[in-house]
Amino acid sequence: MMKTQGNKSFSARRLGAVAAVAFAIVATTLPSALAAGEVLGKACTLEGVSTGTSSKSLVCVAGSSGKLTWQKVRLGSSIGAPIAEITPPQGSIEFWHYRPEDKATFEKIIANYEAKYPGTKITQVVKTTTDYNATARVQILANPKAALFASARGSIFNDFVKSGLTADLSNERFVKRNLVAKGLTAGTVDGKVLGVPYHYLFNNPVYNTELWAKEKWSIPKNLTGWVSWCKDAKAKGYVPLAWPGATRGQAAQISNSALMNSAADYNTLSDNLADLNSGKIDLTSTWFKGVADIYVKLRNAGCFPDNPTGVTEAAAYNLFATGKSPILPTGTFSMGSIKALSPALTGKMQLMSMVLTDGKVVAEGIMNNTFNLSVNAKANPIDQRIAKSFLSYLATGPVAAIYSVATTQHLNVLDIDYSANVDLLNTSSFQGKNTMLAPRFLILNTSVSDLTQDALIQIVGGKSPDDVLPDFSKQIKQKLAG
Amino acid sequence: MGAPALILFLAFYLYPALQNLQFATRRWDGITEPENVGFRNFTNLLTNDDLFYKTLGNNIEFTFLVVIFQTALALLFAVYLVKNTKTTIALRTLYFFPTILSSVSVGMIWLFLYDPNFGAINLFFKSIGLPSFALNWLGSETSALYAIAFTQVWFHTGQMMVVYIAGLQQIPKELYEAAEVDGASRWKQFTKVTWPMALPTTLVVMAYTTIQSFRAFDLIMVMTNSTAGPNNSTSIFSTLVYFTLFNELRLGYAAAQTIFMVLTLIAITWLQRRAFSGRYEK
Repeated sequence: MMKTQGNKSFSARRLGAVAAVAFAIVATTLPSALAAGEVLGKACTLEGVSTGTSSKSLVCVAGSSGKLTWQKVRLGSSIGAPIAEITPPQGSIEFWHYRPEDKATFEKIIANYEAKYPGTKITQVVKTTTDYNATARVQILANPKAALFASARGSIFNDFVKSGLTADLSNERFVKRNLVAKGLTAGTVDGKVLGVPYHYLFNNPVYNTELWAKEKWSIPKNLTGWVSWCKDAKAKGYVPLAWPGATRGQAAQISNSALMNSAADYNTLSDNLADLNSGKIDLTSTWFKGVADIYVKLRNAGCFPDNPTGVTEAAAYNLFATGKSPILPTGTFSMGSIKALSPALTGKMQLMSMVLTDGKVVAEGIMNNTFNLSVNAKANPIDQRIAKSFLSYLATGPVAAIYSVATTQHLNVLDIDYSANVDLLNTSSFQGKNTMLAPRFLILNTSVSDLTQDALIQIVGGKSPDDVLPDFSKQIKQKLAG
Repeated sequence: MGAPALILFLAFYLYPALQNLQFATRRWDGITEPENVGFRNFTNLLTNDDLFYKTLGNNIEFTFLVVIFQTALALLFAVYLVKNTKTTIALRTLYFFPTILSSVSVGMIWLFLYDPNFGAINLFFKSIGLPSFALNWLGSETSALYAIAFTQVWFHTGQMMVVYIAGLQQIPKELYEAAEVDGASRWKQFTKVTWPMALPTTLVVMAYTTIQSFRAFDLIMVMTNSTAGPNNSTSIFSTLVYFTLFNELRLGYAAAQTIFMVLTLIAITWLQRRAFSGRYEK
């Protein structure tokens, strides 16, 4: 009896402890805007804000009367719960991607998949991003065994599409039911899903919460605030932003923050970027001069490291991981690498809004759906089926959770349990913020995109926009003329 | 007897070269149907492409620096290490060592060494009280090309030293003995015996180094994170053609660029031979 009571008592305590931990997790991970009251049918205040990307998530929507209420909305593009993966035929294919840091995780997932489907084999072909972007398309064109491949949203994905390499996945059931429909935009061309954007990234600065608490800093709310903060951080001996100016792709992430509030609204911004892409306007336009001026103000306030144009990605990560810099202005995708460099930072990283305007705020932050996974249209039908099967396997909640937790990436897949990774949980709150799809990828011409970023990098390096912008505009004009 | 060689030459050299000429008259992204544009790619390259002229200048400067310093250092090391002793063999091995590394490894090593904030080079300058020498080596337009040229010299000098040693060992000892009998100093021996006798080797070394400089593609790509340097300050023909072809998908334009690359290479090699051939023949 006593023993039973003791057991009951122990179980009750254990239950209580579990409940307390669960409450603590929920309380700390729910977006601040969603801290309470997100009940089906109850009133909400901010249209479009969601409670997450689960098939049971609620979204704040306006009814016919205009009243905002929490509603259970369909996140997939068709009715029905997420489905299991497609059963593959036997055979072997190659899976090409540009994330060496994910190789081990994919190996684990592939091993599980191959154990489940004996006779089916997936081999990874992994390159660095730069190498991949420059060479993979041509190599895949000549290699039909590369039945599943990744590409970055924007000009790179666009080049793969133009090469006729991307099979239409629009009618696949897993695409309609397992993925967040909104997140498919980055892989959709002319209404066809030609790539499944796997990542749901936040290209916002990551900050070291411990350092921020120690220095009693609060997140600046506008450009003036950022200028003051940089001066303060620099005076205290920090490198305010661990900005990797020598690695164009990573240096460019901060341009999303500079661009997001540079125009009156998203449509105007996307029109401006489309005009820049086509040559209708150039870098000397009033709008882009305003963007460049943000960089000048940040540079003059000492926000960037010494010799910024020579700081590689590795050096910037090092600055942040060693606590010499309180902000890594890249995005959530860097957190895995940072934790590998400094495991002590686990749970001590958070995302921040970087509002670089003193005027109207169009968006608080940036999100991006990328790592577009496409099935090679030039692969033979059996290999295409294997590729679709493996892709559908990656798009199941439990498998996506393995990848997500191991690589510290939010994904575009429904029903992922992020609770096993404290950094993912901490940063999930951004899913409820007013974020903008990363605008820099709206420049689809690779040369224009690269030269635009190079111009901004040169400005950070110390040059005057009066010299840089006309020079790079001329270079863009010459590229477009060719 | 020569037929197989001729077939191989036609198939793998002449045909691609002729096809390249044909491509150079097309506007083609490698995906859609090619469009015949005549000589527009060439005129565009010559009249409306600042990057082309920048690249030409960079390529000539890079080649000049590398050829001069690599040849001079290789000859210097060879002269001092030509005799076979335990010490010289050990030093030869040491100097030759970089050559056996992959260019990507060499690029990565120097990328870290040149890091402006953490790199050993700048830390060294700062530690000896010369902070003004601690530059933004690869991040600055003014120093990036020279920093990579230095790496290229470090990378290949050992290889050229071995070529020189092989050449110097062929010089008859009697010439040095006769010079010593005549009371010639070591410098005189070098200028009157070693240098003239090593001219044929020098020509080979310079021609090979020139070609190597044109192919410094991998080193530049690694050390500039595949950007051809700040504001294209390290763009050379091989990187220019690569970016035009793979980034911009302009196959015809890239083909036209390769033709100018080959012409430049031929011109430089011809000038080198012309500069030395007179003395060599004497």
